[in-house]
Amino acid sequence: MGKLFAVEIIYRGVFQKTLAKNITRGVVLAAHNQGKLGLSFGRYGDSPERNGIPAKSFAIVADDEQTLEEGMAQYEPKRVDVTVVLDDTLCKGVESWAWYGLQPVHRALKPGHTLIVVSLQDAPTLLKSIHHRETPYKLGVLKGATSFSGMWVYKDDHTDVRVLGAIAKALPELVGLTAIKQFVTEKLKNPLKGTSAQLAFDRFHSIEVKPGEGNPEELPKFELLKWEDMRDGVSIKGQPQGGPYKDPITKQVGGFRPARNELFKKGSTRTQRPVVNFATCTKCTLCWLNCPDASFDVTPEGTYDTNFESCCGCGICEDVCPVKDCITMVNEAQFHDNKSQWEAFKKDQDAYLKWLEKTIKEAEPEEKRSHGFRYRGQYKEQVPEALEAAQRA
Amino acid sequence: MTTFVEEKPTQELEAFKGVKKVPHEEYYTSGHRTCQGCESAQIMKLMAKAAGPRTIVLGATGCMYVANTSYYSTPWGVPWMHTQLGSAGSSALGAAAALRVQMRKGVMKDEPINVIAFCGDGGGADMGLNAISATLTHPDYNLLILLYDNESYGNTDIQISGTSPWGVNTSFSTPGKVKRIMHHRWKKNVAALMVAGHPTCKYVGTISTSYPLQAMNNIRKALSIGGPTFIHCLNPCPKGWDFDPVLSFQLGELAVDTGLWPLYEVENGKLKLYGKTEKIANGKFKRLPVREYLLKQGRFAHFEEEDIQFFQSKVDEMWEKWLIPGVIPLQKDVNDNPPAL
Repeated sequence: MGKLFAVEIIYRGVFQKTLAKNITRGVVLAAHNQGKLGLSFGRYGDSPERNGIPAKSFAIVADDEQTLEEGMAQYEPKRVDVTVVLDDTLCKGVESWAWYGLQPVHRALKPGHTLIVVSLQDAPTLLKSIHHRETPYKLGVLKGATSFSGMWVYKDDHTDVRVLGAIAKALPELVGLTAIKQFVTEKLKNPLKGTSAQLAFDRFHSIEVKPGEGNPEELPKFELLKWEDMRDGVSIKGQPQGGPYKDPITKQVGGFRPARNELFKKGSTRTQRPVVNFATCTKCTLCWLNCPDASFDVTPEGTYDTNFESCCGCGICEDVCPVKDCITMVNEAQFHDNKSQWEAFKKDQDAYLKWLEKTIKEAEPEEKRSHGFRYRGQYKEQVPEALEAAQRA
Repeated sequence: MTTFVEEKPTQELEAFKGVKKVPHEEYYTSGHRTCQGCESAQIMKLMAKAAGPRTIVLGATGCMYVANTSYYSTPWGVPWMHTQLGSAGSSALGAAAALRVQMRKGVMKDEPINVIAFCGDGGGADMGLNAISATLTHPDYNLLILLYDNESYGNTDIQISGTSPWGVNTSFSTPGKVKRIMHHRWKKNVAALMVAGHPTCKYVGTISTSYPLQAMNNIRKALSIGGPTFIHCLNPCPKGWDFDPVLSFQLGELAVDTGLWPLYEVENGKLKLYGKTEKIANGKFKRLPVREYLLKQGRFAHFEEEDIQFFQSKVDEMWEKWLIPGVIPLQKDVNDNPPAL
């Protein structure tokens, strides 16, 4: 029997669908240049994809046909040789269509193998989000802005070949840089992309992550019900009605907090979060009324406090808010908890408003997070910018 | 005079007088596996809020079935049942009839209960059209059929439906190098179809999630008026229309402002245009160019100038040539020249 390799790409559903497919396809075709056989596929359970909901794409590669068939006999690879995370906010854990509850990004990664994250942050910062685990692994950052596009229009900012370059560096037994450059020349027919792959290969390096290192948060465990545990007629228990909101600081009771689905929390879908200036809020109700996810709690004072377990960061609240700069969407990578902003505001207004100003200011130059197609010609404007950022890094 | 129709009273749901009077209670809450900025989920939330606790909801297959019942969990706070793709109409009628029997037999307390069946554009404008049509001819049962329209089969990754607009990019109409426009059909005018075809139906209307208060009040009116009623809602879809989810709300407004999505209601046979649509019709608001709507969406990214112009000409036709502008497409003078492909 030959050797079997598995590569896993964790990405944001729809936004990075084409990108993830291009990478796993690239791995297989490049490995083919070295006489290996392979297959690339999306995870069945993630389909149909939804915007932002984490999804996976795989490439399995083998030395010979029999080994490949052994790999193909599995529903999906249980252990992988490389995990690539295409958006750094996924490091907080992923909850896809295909399972219950949040899972760490390195769940399937073999001990000692490499986790590649596309990010503008450095490894120690990312480790604040990536959960601890019992076995050691390597963490490498492929410096670059998160590449987001959509269902029909693809933003070709070379992230695909840059990831391939990083994979060649992290796991040379799977595929070498020469084979990748051959794939780029023959299939993609873009010499500039060959240079991008080479640059990523040259600059990519990883650090050792020791057992226990990383985000100390213990993730809740979920058990799927067995059929004999289900109710008659396979009926599902509906959601109860919510009740008044108890202010954590003033202890005042009033407003409203809806009951929420405990079994699926959409928070891991979020790539940016609303930051609310309660001092300028006019209590107009529009953010609350127009939120498709019922993410706002109504406080006893009639303001609206975001529940970050359910907010998926679409940005509609920012769009409908009639007050300038009252709601600002900020890169989710800036945050490391889901605490109530209203509570912080009530505890110390001045400190909160200072924090708010600082957070928004810091987020701006770091990365103006692109979130899909806004107007025609936008991607053409963004590509040189993204390439330049990658060159700088 | 006897009409042989056995009418039952409905709940009397008065209009919410302003956004501050909208109740806080949610009957469709957080925790659904929909896209970021999903306006179809938003209309489910508004619909449940408008209808209140004494409501039964039936849902035909589509995004709002699959994303809301995954893995033994649900965001629904009122009784909800899945029904087959084409059976929104028949399931609504069946549920209303079953409730009546249960109440007559004394199994249930005799009280008015809202019955709402929703369907997507695939389930309503394509497959379920006959069942909806049949249901709208039954004057005895109080029910509402709500069509949430994202202009494609969104759940199965965006295929053409009867309400997909002309020229759009879908999984079934990918633009090619030789042939750019792969979808040549114009969107079905579903609400007007229901109006013209079902003279005894007391309420038919169109709504948009970008006008949430109006949408909820129209739903409340449809539930209170009695008999079978029908509402068609346009829901911008960030996934299939390919746009940044932050634009969901704006695109709903743009669809109205460009004249592409007319807002109207037909109550007991009387047509009333409302909101911006009314202003367009009486000349108080100039329609925005449809280009502003098209260029914000990736699904139209392959359009060339002549395509945009043709699209605009079809919208102009709606307003300049239709016998009842924006609503009924009977016209005296037809000029239909699609661009050469």
